[in-house]
Amino acid sequence: MSDEVSVRVKGLNKRFGAFVAVSDVSFEVKKGEIFGYLGANGAGKSTTIRMLCGLLSVTSGDVEVAGVDVVHRANAVRHAIGYMSQKFSLYLDLTVSENLEFFGGAYELFGRAFRKRRDAVMHSLALDKLSGELTGSLPAGLRQRLALACAILHEPHVVFLDEPTAGVDPGARRNFWRLIRRLADDGTTIFVTTHYMDEAEYCDRVGLMVAGRLAALDTPEALKRTLVPGRMYELLGADAAEVKKTAKDLALVGVEPFGATLHVRVAEGGPDAATLKRELSSRGVQVANVSDAEVTLEDVFLCVVGGAEKPNKVPEEAKAS
Amino acid sequence: MNRAFRRTMAIAHKEVLHIIRDARSVYMALGLPVVMLMLFGYGISQDVDHIPLSVADEDRTPASRRLSEGLVAAADFVRVEDLPSADDAEAAFRSGRAKAVLAIPRGYGRDLGRGLPAVAQLLVDGSDGTTATIAMGDAAGLVQATSSGRAARASLTEGPRVRARFNPGMRSAYNMVSGVIVLILAMVASLLASLTIAREWERGSMEQLFATPVSRVEIVVGKLIPYTGLGFVQTLLVLTLGSYMFDVPIRGSPVTLFVSSTLFLLAMLGTGLAASIIAKSQLVAVQFAMLGFVHAGRDAERLHVPHREHARVASRAVDGCAGPLLSDDPTGRAPQGQRARRSCR
Repeated sequence: MSDEVSVRVKGLNKRFGAFVAVSDVSFEVKKGEIFGYLGANGAGKSTTIRMLCGLLSVTSGDVEVAGVDVVHRANAVRHAIGYMSQKFSLYLDLTVSENLEFFGGAYELFGRAFRKRRDAVMHSLALDKLSGELTGSLPAGLRQRLALACAILHEPHVVFLDEPTAGVDPGARRNFWRLIRRLADDGTTIFVTTHYMDEAEYCDRVGLMVAGRLAALDTPEALKRTLVPGRMYELLGADAAEVKKTAKDLALVGVEPFGATLHVRVAEGGPDAATLKRELSSRGVQVANVSDAEVTLEDVFLCVVGGAEKPNKVPEEAKAS
Repeated sequence: MNRAFRRTMAIAHKEVLHIIRDARSVYMALGLPVVMLMLFGYGISQDVDHIPLSVADEDRTPASRRLSEGLVAAADFVRVEDLPSADDAEAAFRSGRAKAVLAIPRGYGRDLGRGLPAVAQLLVDGSDGTTATIAMGDAAGLVQATSSGRAARASLTEGPRVRARFNPGMRSAYNMVSGVIVLILAMVASLLASLTIAREWERGSMEQLFATPVSRVEIVVGKLIPYTGLGFVQTLLVLTLGSYMFDVPIRGSPVTLFVSSTLFLLAMLGTGLAASIIAKSQLVAVQFAMLGFVHAGRDAERLHVPHREHARVASRAVDGCAGPLLSDDPTGRAPQGQRARRSCR
C-alpha cells in the first residue's frame, strides 16, 4: 500500500426524487488498499459504487478515480477501472475463453497482447483448464472467478466489486478473498461492497453505511476498539431478559443474543469472566458458562446501527461463525 | 477510430456467437424462410385458373355458342356444365359446382344480327374475392366485344386484350417469393433484434458493458452488423429457393434489389432495436416488435390483394423488393400492385 490516492470522494450525494440514497459521503482510498463497504441492503452501497464507476449520475459532490474526475468525465475513467456488478452478468452461452475474448475486445486488447494477458489471468485465477467450458455450466464460485478475470483483464488501477461473493459457498468465498488479497498486493486498489460481516475482516479498512450515510470508517480492529470498547463475554444457558435486569449493577453495556448464546459487553475496567459468573449467580441469574468472546464486526455493526435496525440479510453462516 | 471499430467488432463477434449458440435463432433465421416458401408456394396458391363455368344458353344460336366458346378459349374458364335456365345459377353457386355462370338470354343472336345491343350476363361467385375479380376482369372486355352490335362480326381476338405487364402468366409464385422476402426480413429483423438488447438488460450485462470503454453507439452498431448479414443470407436463400423451386426470375437490377432490401432490413432492425431499448424486457419487446412485423406483413399482402393507395414508406420498400424481381425496367422501378396485375396495353 502506498500513499498514492486511488479514489477520492468528497461530499457525495445522490437523491432519487425525495429519497436520499447517499448523503454527504467523503473518503479516500489508497493505492493497493482493500476498501470494504459494509451495510445492510438498501443502505446505499451499490448506489455509491455505481457513481464511482460513472454508471450513475451524481446529485452533488466530487468523485475522483485514478486521477480522473468521474463526475464530468465518466467515459475517461473506463480504461482505468474494472467493475463486477452485483448480478452475475457474463454471457452464459459463451465459453470461458469467449467471454474473456469479448471483454478483452471491449477493453481494446487484441492479438498477442490479449493472449498473453488472458493466459496470465487464467493462470493466476486457476481457470486454465476451463477455457472451453460453457460459462452456464460452471458453479457459482467459478463464475465469480471468471467475472473477476474479465474485470481485471485490462490491468485496471481500481477494481470495483459489488457484492462479489453473494450466493457463493464459504469455501469458494475464502478462495476468492485470497485472490483479492493477491491482487491488492500487486498494487491494484480494491473497492468491495459486502453484507457478509466476516468478509469485512479481510479488508484493510471498512466503511459502514447506514441509511445512506457513512457512519464509521476505519480498520476493522480500530472499529472494534473504538465502537465496541470494553470486554465481550459469551454466556451459555442464560436468559436474555434476566441478564438485562442486572445490567445497571454490573455495568453491562450491551446484551445481544448471538446464536444459542448471549454476547454481553462490559464497560472498560469491568469484571473478568469468573467474577461475572459469580456476580450473576449471586443475583439469581442462571448461567451455565461464561467465556471470553472475540468482538466481531457484527457487534460493531449492531452497535452502530442500534439494536432495532439489524441488517436484514445477514446470512446464517456469518452468524454462526 | 480504429479502437472504436475494433470494439464494435468485438460486440459483433459476440453477437454472432449468441446467434450460433441459440438453436431457435438459427431455425428462425434459416429454417423459417424455407418453411414459409413451401407453405406459400405449395400450400397457398393465389393462381386463378380453371375457373369452373356453367353456361345457361337460352338462346342456342351460333352467336351464343361463339360467345361461350370464346370465353372458355380466351380466359381461364373450364366449362363444367350446361344449365337449362339462368334461374339455376344460384343453385350452381351454392352447390360449389361453378364459380361463374354465363347467362345468354333468348334473342341474343337475333339482336346481334340486327345490330342492336345484345346483353349477356356473366355471374361471378363473389364469396371468393380474388377469383371473382380476376374472372370479371378477364371476361369483361370479351363479353363486351362479342355482345355489342357493332362488333358483331369482329373476331374474338380483336377486342381489347388484357395482359399483366410484369407477370404475364399471373403466377402467384412471383408475388409470393418477393412477399416472403419481406416477411422473413421483417420477422427476423424485428423479432431477433428486439430480443438482443432486452436480453442484455435482463441478464444485467448491459451495466457491465457500460462500465467498459464501449459506447452506446458501438453496442447498437455492433449488434446490427450480424443481423444485417443474416438478413442478406436469408434474402439470398429465399431468392435461390424461389428460382429453383418456383422459377422466379430476377429480371431487374440486382443492385437495386440489394439496396432496397438493405433499406428495408435496416428499418425493421431499427424497429426491433427501438422496441428492445424501450421495453428492457424480452417479452414486452417481442410484442412491440410484432406490431412492426404485422405492419410489414400487411404491406406484403398488398402484393397479392392490391390496393390503390400506396403512400407508406414501408410499402415502397416492399415494392422495392418486388420491383427488381419482376420488372425488366433497368431503373428497377417498382411495379405498383395495381400495375403489376393488370396494366393494359
